Amino acid sequence: MNEPIPIAALNQYAYCPHRCWRMFCAGEFVENHYTIEGTDLHQRVHTVGENQREETWQIRAIWLKSEQYGLIGKSDLIEEVDDNLYPIEYKRGHKGEWDNDAMQVVAQALCLEEMTGKSITKGYVYYAQTHQRQEIEITSELRNKAIAAITEISQMMETGKMPPAIYGNRCKGCSLFTQCVPMAKEKVSKYKEGA
Amino acid sequence: MGTVYVSQDDSFIGKTDERLTVKAEKKQILDVPLIKIDGLVILGRATISPAAVIELLERKIPMSFMTGTGRFLGRLEPELTKNIFVRRSQWDAAGETPKAIHMVQAFVRGKLKNYRASLMRHLRDYPDNDLQKWIDDLERAIDSLATIKAIASLRGVEGHGSAVYWQAFPKLIRADGFSFTTRNRRPPIDPVNAMLSFGYSLLRHDVQGALNIVGFDPYLGYLHTERYGRPSLALDLMEEFRPLIVDAIVLSAINRKAIAPKDFTSEPLSKAISLSNEARKVFLTLYEQKKQSKFKHPVMGRQCTYQEAFELQARLLAKYLMDETDKYPPLVMK
Ligand code: SF4
Repeated sequence: MNEPIPIAALNQYAYCPHRCWRMFCAGEFVENHYTIEGTDLHQRVHTVGENQREETWQIRAIWLKSEQYGLIGKSDLIEEVDDNLYPIEYKRGHKGEWDNDAMQVVAQALCLEEMTGKSITKGYVYYAQTHQRQEIEITSELRNKAIAAITEISQMMETGKMPPAIYGNRCKGCSLFTQCVPMAKEKVSKYKEGA
Repeated sequence: MGTVYVSQDDSFIGKTDERLTVKAEKKQILDVPLIKIDGLVILGRATISPAAVIELLERKIPMSFMTGTGRFLGRLEPELTKNIFVRRSQWDAAGETPKAIHMVQAFVRGKLKNYRASLMRHLRDYPDNDLQKWIDDLERAIDSLATIKAIASLRGVEGHGSAVYWQAFPKLIRADGFSFTTRNRRPPIDPVNAMLSFGYSLLRHDVQGALNIVGFDPYLGYLHTERYGRPSLALDLMEEFRPLIVDAIVLSAINRKAIAPKDFTSEPLSKAISLSNEARKVFLTLYEQKKQSKFKHPVMGRQCTYQEAFELQARLLAKYLMDETDKYPPLVMK
């Protein structure tokens, strides 16, 4: 059987496949300012426990798994309201222009569905910086997108084949920028060495 | 960020909280936050505490050990990156492969072009200096590289080009009391060679650190292989940097009289030459300043320091090996 895919890889893949390769195939992971703060947040969130808040039952930091999709990961928070389960993913920062966070929520939903037999219709991303919950409706379109990404990631993990680094706006906020040097391809091909 | 050099004999290197401390003769001679350190070079007899070693490894800060005269002894390397793909592509290219040939051409071309540029710069400053025939010789060697496809022959060109440069080198020395006839090492027997060897050891510390960060195996080289008895990618990647950094520092230290002939002592019998403690400090400072000096990277078109350039060139090398770019551009400066 193939190695299970970390749910977090989906988020990275949706952001930039090359980054996902660097992190999960090549094992590069540099803690920069952003990821360190992100980790602090996760340490707070990842204290296993459950509690009842009015009509909402909450459980934190449990393992999620799907045999069917070969996924594994830890949830930040799962809430149950009126017999409905909602995965909630915590993010430092605010909502970015890339909808990669949604992918991670959908992947969690796929796991939860398999684990509980219930169908999940929505989830949330909680943005710590703005204290906002963004609702993610788990549409069949989003499901298909996530499933397609899972297939691609599992192929990438198996073959180790590197998706190209493509320089773009998202490179600005990328913690792997120094390792990746995404402009190199173009710059090197244009470069004329001095005599 | 910078490298810490511990050159005082019998010093003790330890760790206090988040700082590296150096004590000698019961006095604290250094106290720097670890976050500001990207390398440690220990010259001569010093003691380092296990706690400091562990902390440096955890922070991925490489340590090199050299003799007091600057001969490279060895190195304690933080764990390699998990990037097996870089190492695989490095091994795949080993031998007489098109990629190896391309890289060897680039390493030699980079070195010889920088040699030539250094002679030409000198000729601009001192037009009466008769350097033209060596410049032309280097020119021919550089021109021949593109058509040569056998690594052994490329090594031949490298050897010839270097010989030409070292013949011209004495003409670049413009201070009295220094003489240079030929490049010698192990042990160097004149002050100029002593400084060159010392500088190359320091350079090796930095280049090998850069290769390690990127995930290379520094012991598998292309230009330097069994023939040199020391297979080493670090030596390969050093080639383009030698004239730019070390030779430049040695010449400026001599010509600006920062270091004088009296700063050297010679051993009886062996004639091995070494720098005085004071002069060694001057040299280390010059080296560190050079590494932190900025220039416009010709490929990337942005400002960078030589320290950053070591890593950038190593990354460009990895990109070429992994088919991300169509060539490896050595760092060539006008
Ligand atoms: S720098 Fe850009 S191309 Fe490289 S991993 Fe990051 S986002 Fe992807």
